[in-house]
Amino acid sequence: MNRLSSSVPVDEYLADSSVLVYLSDAVTQLLEHKEEYTQFGVVRYFAEYFSSVKNSNHVLFREYSYIRATLHNRASFIRVFWRCYRQIGKSGDMLSMLEYRSLLQLLCPDFPVEVVQSAARIVLMDDAIDCLMSFPDFLYAFQLQFYYQEFLDSVLAIYQDLLAGKSPNTVIVPTSTSIELLHSVTAEENEKAGQQQDGVESSTLAECVEALCDRFKHCHPSRSCMKEVFNQTEKVCYFSFLMSLAKHETINETIGALPSKAELLIDQEMDQELDKLIAQISVSPGSNSSGSAVGGLKEAQRKASPRRNIHHRRKVESDGSTEETDSSEN
Amino acid sequence: MADKEKRRSGVTPPGMPEGRAAKLDSDREFLSSAGVGELLRGAILKMVEARSDDPVGFLADHFCNLASVTETGAAGCGDGDAHGNGPLSASASAQEAQQHLNRALWHLRLAHHSQRSAFSNNVRVAYDLLNLTGACRQPPEGPEGPEGSCTEGPTPEGGGGGVKGGLYTQTLQCLCSEGGVPASTSAPLLQRLHCQDHEAVPYDVFRHGVLTCAVFSDYIRQAQRLYAEVCCPDEGPASRALCLAVLGTLKEALETSQGCDANCCLNANAKANHCLEAGVKAIRYLEASAKISPCKLAQAMSGAQTRGPGGHMDAKEFENAAAELFITRVKVVS
Repeated sequence: MNRLSSSVPVDEYLADSSVLVYLSDAVTQLLEHKEEYTQFGVVRYFAEYFSSVKNSNHVLFREYSYIRATLHNRASFIRVFWRCYRQIGKSGDMLSMLEYRSLLQLLCPDFPVEVVQSAARIVLMDDAIDCLMSFPDFLYAFQLQFYYQEFLDSVLAIYQDLLAGKSPNTVIVPTSTSIELLHSVTAEENEKAGQQQDGVESSTLAECVEALCDRFKHCHPSRSCMKEVFNQTEKVCYFSFLMSLAKHETINETIGALPSKAELLIDQEMDQELDKLIAQISVSPGSNSSGSAVGGLKEAQRKASPRRNIHHRRKVESDGSTEETDSSEN
Repeated sequence: MADKEKRRSGVTPPGMPEGRAAKLDSDREFLSSAGVGELLRGAILKMVEARSDDPVGFLADHFCNLASVTETGAAGCGDGDAHGNGPLSASASAQEAQQHLNRALWHLRLAHHSQRSAFSNNVRVAYDLLNLTGACRQPPEGPEGPEGSCTEGPTPEGGGGGVKGGLYTQTLQCLCSEGGVPASTSAPLLQRLHCQDHEAVPYDVFRHGVLTCAVFSDYIRQAQRLYAEVCCPDEGPASRALCLAVLGTLKEALETSQGCDANCCLNANAKANHCLEAGVKAIRYLEASAKISPCKLAQAMSGAQTRGPGGHMDAKEFENAAAELFITRVKVVS
C-alpha cells in the first residue's frame, strides 16, 4: 500500500484506477442476467465478478468495447489469446491475417479487422499483407498494437506528418475514434508507400514521441526502450520501429501478459488447461465435419477445435486455388 | 463523490439500450430491492478509505468476505437450530474461532497503519470480533445463550471482558508472517508483547500490539531494502564494515527519536493536549530523519570502506541486527 496515497483526492483515486469501469459493468451484467445471477445472491455475484477480474478470466467472449476498456482487460485478452491458440505456435503453422482475425473473433465476436490489420502490418512491414505469419511473430505484434493502440495511432500520425514534411506539432491526438482515423490514414498511407521505404530521421521522431509520452500518462511503451530503438539507426520507418518494440523483451515484461519468446511454447500445465478450454469452445457445431473431410490430408494428431477447422479450410483451398480467394471468403 | 459515481453507474449503466423507460424503472426497482446500492456504497467507502493500490483485488476480497460471512452466518443459524439442545461440538467452535480470527485479520489488513483513523476503526472491529470468540469459548457462561449471539453476528454487548491472550498472540503472529517477517525475526518482538494465554487483553494493549507488529513489518521490509542497497548482488554478501556503518547510522537515528514510538502508542487513547511535547517530538523526528539521510549514510559508508572490520555480513544477520535495534525500543507488556 502506498503510504502517501491519502493525499490523493477521492475522485482522482477513482479515476486513476479503472475500478469504476468494472463497477458499472458489474451492474450492467447483473441487470442483463438478473435471474441467472441472483439465485446465489448479489453479494456472491459481485464476489465472483471481481474475483474473475482479478484473475484475468473475465474477458472471454465479451464484446470488444469491454475488452479494450482498460489496460488490465487488454492484457487479460492478450493472455487468453495466447493460451487458447498456443498450439498453433507449437505446430509451427503459418496463418494469414484474416485467419488470425477469425481466431480472435472466436474469443470476441465483434473484434474489428483494423486492429488485426495493423498488427499484421508490423510483422509484414506494411507490404504483402496477405502473407502468412508465424504465431509468435503475430502474437507479439498484436500485443503491442492492441495494448498501446491509441499511442501508436498518434505516433503514426506524427510519422506521416514528418514524411510529408509537415510540422508534427499540429498533430491532433486521436481519442476514442482512433479506429476510424486509422482507417483513413491507411488508405492515404498506401498511396505513398514508395516514400516510406526511407523513413524519417530517428532523432526527430524520437523528440516528437517524447513529447507525446507526456500526454499519454502511462499508456505508452517505456521511454527508455523507445530511446534504445531510436538510437539503433539514423533513419527509422514506422513499421520497423514497431517491430523492434514488439520484439523488445522489457516492453513485453511491462505488459506482463506473455512470457518471453523462449518460453512462449513451453508449459505442461497449460497444455492440460488448454485441452479443457478447447473442449469448451469446440462445442460449436461443425468443428468435426471438416476435420473428417480432410482427414487424409493431415496426420490425425490433434483434438477437434475451431482453430483446426479454419486451418484445414485454408489447406484445402490453398491446394485448389490461391490465398486471395481464401482471404475474400473469410 | 463516491456516492455520486455509484449512483450513476448503478442506475444508468452504459451500454443499455436507450429509451426504454419501463425497463429502466424495473431495473431501478430490482437494484433497490436487492440492496445493490447499499452494497456498492459500503464497498466503495471501504475502498476509498483504504486507498488500496489494487482496488479490483480489494473489492474481490471485500465481496468474497461479505459473501462468506452471510453464507456461514446463515449456515450457522441453521446449525444452531439443529443442535439447539446441546452445546456445540469442540471442532465446530474451534472452526468458528478460526473464522473469527480470519475475519479479524482481514479487517486489520484493510488499511495501512499510516491511515490512522481507518486503521483504528479496523482494529476496533477486529477486537470486537475476537472478543466475541472469547465469550463463546468460555465454558462457564452456559453454552446456548452466547452461541446464539455469536452466530447472529457482531453484538456490541456480547463481549467476554477482553480478547483472550492466546488469540491475541495468534493474531500478532499472523500479522508478522503476513507482513513478510520470518518467524525467527519476529519471535523476540512477540516475546515482549506477549500476554498469558488465559489473560484477558484490554483494548489498549491489543491496539498497541497490533500497531507495533504492523510498524515492525514495515520496518523489516525497509531494512531488507536497505541491505539490498548496500550489497551488490553480483559480488555476494555485503561487506561487514559497510553494514556496520549503516546499522550504526540507523541506531543513532533511532536513538534521536527515542521514546517517540512508545509515547505515541501509550498516549494514543489519552489524547492529552501535550502541544509542547508534540512540538519537541516533531523536532526530534526531523533530527532523526536528517541523521539517516542519504548523505549521512554515504559519509558513514565511505568512512567505513577505508577502515573497519573485514569479512562479510549476510542478509539474515543484517535483518536480525536491524530488528534488534527496533525491538529493544519496544516496552515489555505487563
